[in-house]
Amino acid sequence: MLDRMEGQYDVVVVGGGPAGMGAALGARDSGAERVLILDREPEAGGILWQCIHSGFGLHYFREELTGPEYAERFLEKVIDYDVDLVTNSYVSGISVDSDGTKSVRVMNEAHGMDTVNTKSVVLSMGCRERTRGSIRIPGTRPSGVLPAGLAQKIVNLKGYLPGKRIAILGSGDIGLIMARRLTLEGCEVVGVFEIMPYSNGLTRNLVQCLEDFGIPLHLSTTVAYIHGLDRLEKITVAPVSKDLKPDMNRARDVKCDTLLLSIGLIPENELSLSLGIQMDVVTGGPRVSSTLETSMPGVFASGNVLHVHDLVDFVTRESLLAGQFAGEWAQGVRRPADNIRLVPGDNVRYCVPHSLSPEREHTIYMRCKEAMMPCRIRVGNLMEKKLRFVVPAEMIIFKIKPDLLDKFHGDTLRIDILPAKKGKRHD
Amino acid sequence: MIKAKQYTCIGCPIGCPLQLQHEGKNIAEISGYECDRGAKYAKQEFTDPRRDMSTTVEIIGARWKRLPVKVTGPVEKDRVMEAARKIHELRVRAPIKLGQILIEDFLGQKDIHVVACRSMERIN
Repeated sequence: MLDRMEGQYDVVVVGGGPAGMGAALGARDSGAERVLILDREPEAGGILWQCIHSGFGLHYFREELTGPEYAERFLEKVIDYDVDLVTNSYVSGISVDSDGTKSVRVMNEAHGMDTVNTKSVVLSMGCRERTRGSIRIPGTRPSGVLPAGLAQKIVNLKGYLPGKRIAILGSGDIGLIMARRLTLEGCEVVGVFEIMPYSNGLTRNLVQCLEDFGIPLHLSTTVAYIHGLDRLEKITVAPVSKDLKPDMNRARDVKCDTLLLSIGLIPENELSLSLGIQMDVVTGGPRVSSTLETSMPGVFASGNVLHVHDLVDFVTRESLLAGQFAGEWAQGVRRPADNIRLVPGDNVRYCVPHSLSPEREHTIYMRCKEAMMPCRIRVGNLMEKKLRFVVPAEMIIFKIKPDLLDKFHGDTLRIDILPAKKGKRHD
Repeated sequence: MIKAKQYTCIGCPIGCPLQLQHEGKNIAEISGYECDRGAKYAKQEFTDPRRDMSTTVEIIGARWKRLPVKVTGPVEKDRVMEAARKIHELRVRAPIKLGQILIEDFLGQKDIHVVACRSMERIN
């Protein structure tokens, strides 16, 4: 780890979580000599340090690791690869010269404001949690209402408990994992409340974090009111109607001193927005080409800042690629612009990247709008792929081979998720 | 009489819905899995359910107050809470290296240890 930045860089990576570390390694792999990671925390590794449960690395390392183990393996690689790493540093802005050189403005805890020049940039700032304000739960404003990931940091790094009697709103993975975590730490978790008729978490978390400990999951139910002056005293929960409005006639009170919110993540794109790059309103992240380049030449993006992933392994894979292209760019490689637009069709919420080129194989990351089983993915008239099921909580990943795109002469390729064809049994 | 049990495979994020038919303690048939892990998991859940286990312990002299640790082999499902209480009695001092053994032969199981999931430097 370096104390401060030195000289001119080929690639500057903003954010040192799994995405940033992957991008830096990818950039070095491509032959870029000088690569710098800037991270605002005292150590790189991002959210992985607090994700102490196992389940990381199955795809990438072919073994199941905890978050900290995954982080440390990557951090060691980053150091082995001679990547400069400067922590306690917040990137407050990026400007672009007429010759394409980028100046990255950095605020460092010890050294104040500084500027570093680079040929290309990878945005890998990750995401942050949605808060009570983003869903406007009515009631008083006592302490004890906090996002689940913040509670995770408090418990796993800082070493104290957020409360004793815990309710959880939202059945996203962080909420489920915190239900188990707090139970193991001796808290009483009174229930998980989910406004949708289905859970948003991975099935294995439903099994291992709730079922195993007898923690009830209340579907189609939300928190309608928060009570308590200084400290949370109770919440009013109510089943919701079809339009997701709480039915107050069937409301009941639940005593608790803590309410954890696991209600979704927002890609942290203030920096991207300040650059004026084009955004995708659905993902909340930048629009990117097949080289993961944003609409600003030489600025790339990967990981949760681009779209929220459910597995770190996929963040790593995507980021290695973004880093390789960013490294190439820094060395003067200019690939032809993509000539095929990729657009979401039936039952597709989004797909990334937003365009393709016939010169390479592509990995497509996408999410469905609604669960469907069995089903098939149709990519224009080029290919169909059968799937046992799709659910909104699980990202869909597939590859498109270049020879397939060679046969395509249009400029817009549409992806649909359709019910499986009748008459054909799928196994 | 043949009875059926339902499990959700936890071997990977797909979460295959598994069905296990059994007569008393004898397994008749397992179905619903996409890969061998599913069949193995259903059998394991039926005969000897176990869970991966990780938690944190107090650490002194490090940047953070807690050190993440894990048990190197799956713990019997019914002993998870007991295991957590045992591990939480532990208090360690920095520096710690990734993989360092903190409790040997945990819960009397040979070669199953509680190990550190990260390194932590000594900070004064």
